[in-house]
Amino acid sequence: MITQEKYRTTVKELLSNGTIKMAIGYKPGSTPDRRRPLFIRTLEEADQLVLDSTCMTNLSGYLVTEGLLSDEKRVGIFLRPEGIRSINILAAEYQLNVDQIIIFGFDSTGREVRPLQGRNAEDFTALLSEIKENPPVIHKEPLLERIEKMNAKERFDFWQEEFSRCLKCYACRQACPMCYCRRCIVDSNQPQWVNTSSHTLGNFEWNIVRAFHLSGRCVQCGNCDRGCPVNIPLRLINQRMAKEVIDGFDHFAGLSSTQEPVLASFKKDDTETFIL
Amino acid sequence: MSEPFEPKIVAFVCTYCTYAGADLAGTSRLKYAPNVRIVRLPCTGRISPMFILKALQKGADGVLVSGCHPGDCHFTHGNYHARRRWMVFRALLDFTGIPPERVMFSWISAAEGSKFADLINSVTEDIRKLGPFDQYQELIKETESPATL
Repeated sequence: MITQEKYRTTVKELLSNGTIKMAIGYKPGSTPDRRRPLFIRTLEEADQLVLDSTCMTNLSGYLVTEGLLSDEKRVGIFLRPEGIRSINILAAEYQLNVDQIIIFGFDSTGREVRPLQGRNAEDFTALLSEIKENPPVIHKEPLLERIEKMNAKERFDFWQEEFSRCLKCYACRQACPMCYCRRCIVDSNQPQWVNTSSHTLGNFEWNIVRAFHLSGRCVQCGNCDRGCPVNIPLRLINQRMAKEVIDGFDHFAGLSSTQEPVLASFKKDDTETFIL
Repeated sequence: MSEPFEPKIVAFVCTYCTYAGADLAGTSRLKYAPNVRIVRLPCTGRISPMFILKALQKGADGVLVSGCHPGDCHFTHGNYHARRRWMVFRALLDFTGIPPERVMFSWISAAEGSKFADLINSVTEDIRKLGPFDQYQELIKETESPATL
């Protein structure tokens, strides 16, 4: 509550002295445990701001809305550490200018919300390095271990079962701050890379393609998991791929705004064991 | 009643090295298994993982991707980018249950005609032992679209 009040005051202050033109935060949603995004442009709107442990959504995707940052004015945004990583990736991929982003950082343990020190993306580098060393435990970890133990056929069956529920609603894509392509590969129809109907083959391809595009970019914010109406454990694949790039290339996505994207760079001595 | 299983293999190769290597195998009159369908591309860096999925989607039992040895790329570093991409993509295929044995990668230079012939033979034998990729082909049937290659 104290954090929320403090941040309301800060937002009002920065809005009225013209530092930011808008702040993106949370307001109450349709049920007590849900929050929806709030776009604060006036002092009155700032009073609707809510900040508690149920504010889970990574809001950084709203920053790449067309035209939002083109006037070169600053925008404030409420972010958890994962969200700050997303900002760094978007900046590294030239989707936004990191100097235009004022970060209101927060994190929660249990129901307790605490603010994070800093206002600009670079202020959080130490915090992010610490997270790299001690990544938070995501509760689906046992499932990941179970899948690792399966053989290829069982794994195929497992994912086929999961993906058979997919409706192709693309909520995962819409919710993901990393899916900013104007034209997604699944929308391209000449050639049609991915079957668009929601039979299992198309679902399989779609989810593999998305996971590949997120390899080395996903920050485990969980927007896709929460967005999925049929509860496919999408974050699990992304989590596995994040492990892959950290093991293979020591790449922790979103560590800084100047970090080279892992799949758009290379080392001459990348070591592999499978090329014949 | 049933014919012996002949694997369908799609090979994505770069034009400067592996395709030239395949050419050399041909002009040297080397014999190799006819199961491979070669698709020529400018560089391994041009080979999107989508191509591999598309090949499987169209009923391939195995996929081979091949290009210049590291350091030999006509475009100086296309194959370095490709290598990284494959490392990640291969792990993804493995995690989603597509056996990594079905998707193979190799470096074959323009001078390695005999390596090309040998590799095609051994890859064909490996896939023949694995049998048709039934699991994936079941999915294709479900879509009721004819799988043509």
